[in-house]
Amino acid sequence: MDASLRGAQRLLGEWIPHPRAADGPGPTLETLPAALESPRLVTPRAVEGPSLRARRVPGDPRSTFGGFLDGTQASRIVTYHDGVPIVFATVAAVIRVRRDRRLATYGQLPEIERCLYVPRALVPARLWEAATTGDYRVVDTGGERGEGGVEEAADSRHPSALIERALQLVRGCRERLEHTLAERWCATERAPLYIDGGLTGSPRVATAACSVGVVKRHRTLYVAADLMPVLTGLRPGERTTAFRIAPARRTAVTSWYLRLRDARGRDPTWGLVRIEVAESAPHDVTERADDVSRWVLAETAPLALPDPRWDTMAYGIRDCEEFLRAIT
Amino acid sequence: MNGRDGVVVSPIGRVVATERRPNTPHEFHFWTALDATVGIGTIVRVVGAHPVGGQLPTVYGVVVEGYSYTDLQSPLHDVLGHDGSPARAAFAATERTEIRLYTAAVLRHVPEEPLQPVPMGEVFLADDADVACALRMDAYLRDGSNTGIPVGVYHAGGTDAPIYVDADFLLGPEAAHVTVTGVSGLATKTSAVEWLLASIFTHFPASKGTVAAVCFNVKGPDLCFLDQPATELSESDLALYAQLGVPPRPFARVQYFAPYTARGFALNTLRTHEALAHNTMPLVWGLQDVMEFADVLLTREDIDAKADALIDFIREDVVGHRFTDDRLPRTYEVQSFSDLNAWFADVLRTMEQSNVESWRTHHIATIRKIRNRLSNIAQRCAGLVTNDGISRDLPWGSFADRTVYVIDVANLEEDAQDLIFARVVSTLRKRLEQRDLGVDHVIVFVDELNKYAPGDGPDTYVRKMLLDVAERGRYLGLVLFGAQQFRSQVHRRLIGNAGTSLFGRMDGDELATPGYAVLSPAIKTKLATLEKGQLMVRHPHFTQPVFVRFPRPAVLSGREGAERFPRSAEPSLEVAVTRSLRVLDPSITLEWVKQVTGIYEPHEILRARTQTELARPNDVRAFFKSQFRAVVPGRTVTRPPVPPALRSAPVDDPYGT
Repeated sequence: MDASLRGAQRLLGEWIPHPRAADGPGPTLETLPAALESPRLVTPRAVEGPSLRARRVPGDPRSTFGGFLDGTQASRIVTYHDGVPIVFATVAAVIRVRRDRRLATYGQLPEIERCLYVPRALVPARLWEAATTGDYRVVDTGGERGEGGVEEAADSRHPSALIERALQLVRGCRERLEHTLAERWCATERAPLYIDGGLTGSPRVATAACSVGVVKRHRTLYVAADLMPVLTGLRPGERTTAFRIAPARRTAVTSWYLRLRDARGRDPTWGLVRIEVAESAPHDVTERADDVSRWVLAETAPLALPDPRWDTMAYGIRDCEEFLRAIT
Repeated sequence: MNGRDGVVVSPIGRVVATERRPNTPHEFHFWTALDATVGIGTIVRVVGAHPVGGQLPTVYGVVVEGYSYTDLQSPLHDVLGHDGSPARAAFAATERTEIRLYTAAVLRHVPEEPLQPVPMGEVFLADDADVACALRMDAYLRDGSNTGIPVGVYHAGGTDAPIYVDADFLLGPEAAHVTVTGVSGLATKTSAVEWLLASIFTHFPASKGTVAAVCFNVKGPDLCFLDQPATELSESDLALYAQLGVPPRPFARVQYFAPYTARGFALNTLRTHEALAHNTMPLVWGLQDVMEFADVLLTREDIDAKADALIDFIREDVVGHRFTDDRLPRTYEVQSFSDLNAWFADVLRTMEQSNVESWRTHHIATIRKIRNRLSNIAQRCAGLVTNDGISRDLPWGSFADRTVYVIDVANLEEDAQDLIFARVVSTLRKRLEQRDLGVDHVIVFVDELNKYAPGDGPDTYVRKMLLDVAERGRYLGLVLFGAQQFRSQVHRRLIGNAGTSLFGRMDGDELATPGYAVLSPAIKTKLATLEKGQLMVRHPHFTQPVFVRFPRPAVLSGREGAERFPRSAEPSLEVAVTRSLRVLDPSITLEWVKQVTGIYEPHEILRARTQTELARPNDVRAFFKSQFRAVVPGRTVTRPPVPPALRSAPVDDPYGT
């Protein structure tokens, strides 16, 4: 059990007489089974040629990234008050900058936030007031008292709903920290930054020339159903042609798939990443995609083992996670 | 953190502990940056983060083990990551996270109580003051009561700190004795002792009295040129001398002693060059000197109870006394082996004539056996033991402060070596007990302790004597400096009584013996690879061994000395006498010696030389000539006058033929 979680429990012990403390640290809420996002296919707009096809990345892999950005979050239920879960979360993000082939922390300190997630409407006012005067930032997870409310409001009183709401807020907090760091990098550095995940959440990051987002999860595949064989048939060192992604309320980026490792006999998405970069002029797309692909291919060694996602995880990202695990 | 002089000092590491590898009051672990100047033997300081009893705990430790590893869980992962090609690993964009993890043995806690496990905290390289505190040298380096003897310089992480040993624990009375262990041929053992003697002679406090050294040169020319300057000392050596406050000069006062060769013309030493003759003196003993140590030369089979009784009788009542017996033809004054032989001859003749088998309870067979054994001592130790009883010995009673007395036994037979060890050390002990040696402390340096005090084998007189010195010598001021290649083969009591132990480069097989089990594998590896001029020091004040550098001795090495002062071929009798007398009177020439000694026997000439050397007269020529017996002037023999011949018989005289 980490010290900050114990501190939060002690704090709550002062506010709530005889609180029912959660049993030990246990697994974080992020590791518990959650409702899976439905897999889906999205047909993107091609920006490199008329349709999706495979291309061999020309030239040798070239190490160019100057830093790696990743964030972590760990949420735990501290206690229940009248059945209302109170969640304590630690979120952190860090850029590990590469100097002389070794990784070190960028800037003075990583970004770390520790927050209590409390549904204000469902706990006594004195508890909320006491919480807001403590050492931790307190975030209202919403919810309404069920007395005479509508059914939707009644559903939001469900402890699981409250936990999911808290987790969404924690995720948003982590993304905010990651964006803060990425924006800081883009404002001051010229070397490319390897970002674990997509870029579309931050307009400044999504439009910066130095940021490269690498997505490892593929619940949503940006490929038309009839072109799926092109994607699954990618061989190591091959990429798809680039396409444009423009989620609602997010910034559009240029993206493509890149096969890092031989997936023969494995899941078709094994060793497959999707890369996001800022949009560029159409005649620059191919050169840009080839360049960035060479950079990403250069990060396939050393392996990120023993992380189970080692087929798609760069060692620099694993280093970020290990670093954050050590300090949070 | 601010250093002592206000300079901000950055930590070089942090203490870490896990449940599987916890810290204890005696050991802790810390990690450092990859480029930290920490290695095996580095002394570090840990500053705890939380006060104990109102004081931040400070712990000093010395690094005894080091580890390095990465986040790699299996070597196979590295192979996979680089497609089985080591060359491709060099092109990897990122190097794996790597740790330098060290284990340190605790040297000291401040405060000493309560003794707690080493706390988590920052780790700093030790500076000079830290080193002094860590090794508890502050206890004996105080102004006004400084008993520190520099033994070398601790060098690590930019710190060059002089390391001192406590004179009270080096030369007594608290503890004493030094053993030096190291492989042969790397100039470690002899060099270390030469350096340590120079340091002692410079820094031994006057308030502790006077000190001299008696060194036995047991092999080659090792100790034969202690009075000659080294050919060239490097800048780094000179810097070490300056830092340790020892002048880089050879020993100012050295006296050499060596027995004669069997012929008796020249000294049996490699130091026979004429330029070195002024302080090279003969070591010759007569019957009275040797008799007390006859046991040394007799085997266990020789010394049964009867033989022992007869030897005691001769020692107590015959040698050096006026001896009379009604049955013997005369009164005896046995002073030399020749006298003793004559005495034995008369005793045996008397018994044979009287047809008796015992005399004064001693059986005739025992008398014959002891006569045989004692008589051949002079032959077995020819050159050292003389028949005529004239003794040339160490300056008992007038040993001088800060003087080295070297006895060269390198070329002697084992019997003669044993006799010299036994008599010199026993006499030193006796004189120190009587406080009439001339100095208060004597350091006895014996190389090859494996040979003279082995852990197994027969219980020899020499070993018993060395053990006695080791166990009781410190109360008298008699200190043993021993050197050996294999410490494990030296008698345990001798090793155990040595307060200070020095280790040079060690042999791997020796390090594998149980005596070194207390050392970590890393320390053993370091010992096996030590450079010349490096030592590991164990001293009663030091909780853990410490590595130091010491300068090359400022004396001519044996090998260089042998080249610069080559050994003279054994000279003729006249040349040998000329050389001896020239030390007393440089005007003496070979022609003069030939003229004086021409008609005398060799033993007479040698006797005259010895008497002259002993007397050191003002008029050497006159004294030397006076030692010879007067010779009646020669006379021409003339034919006596022939008496007149008798008348011859007649030719025809029939009775004339």
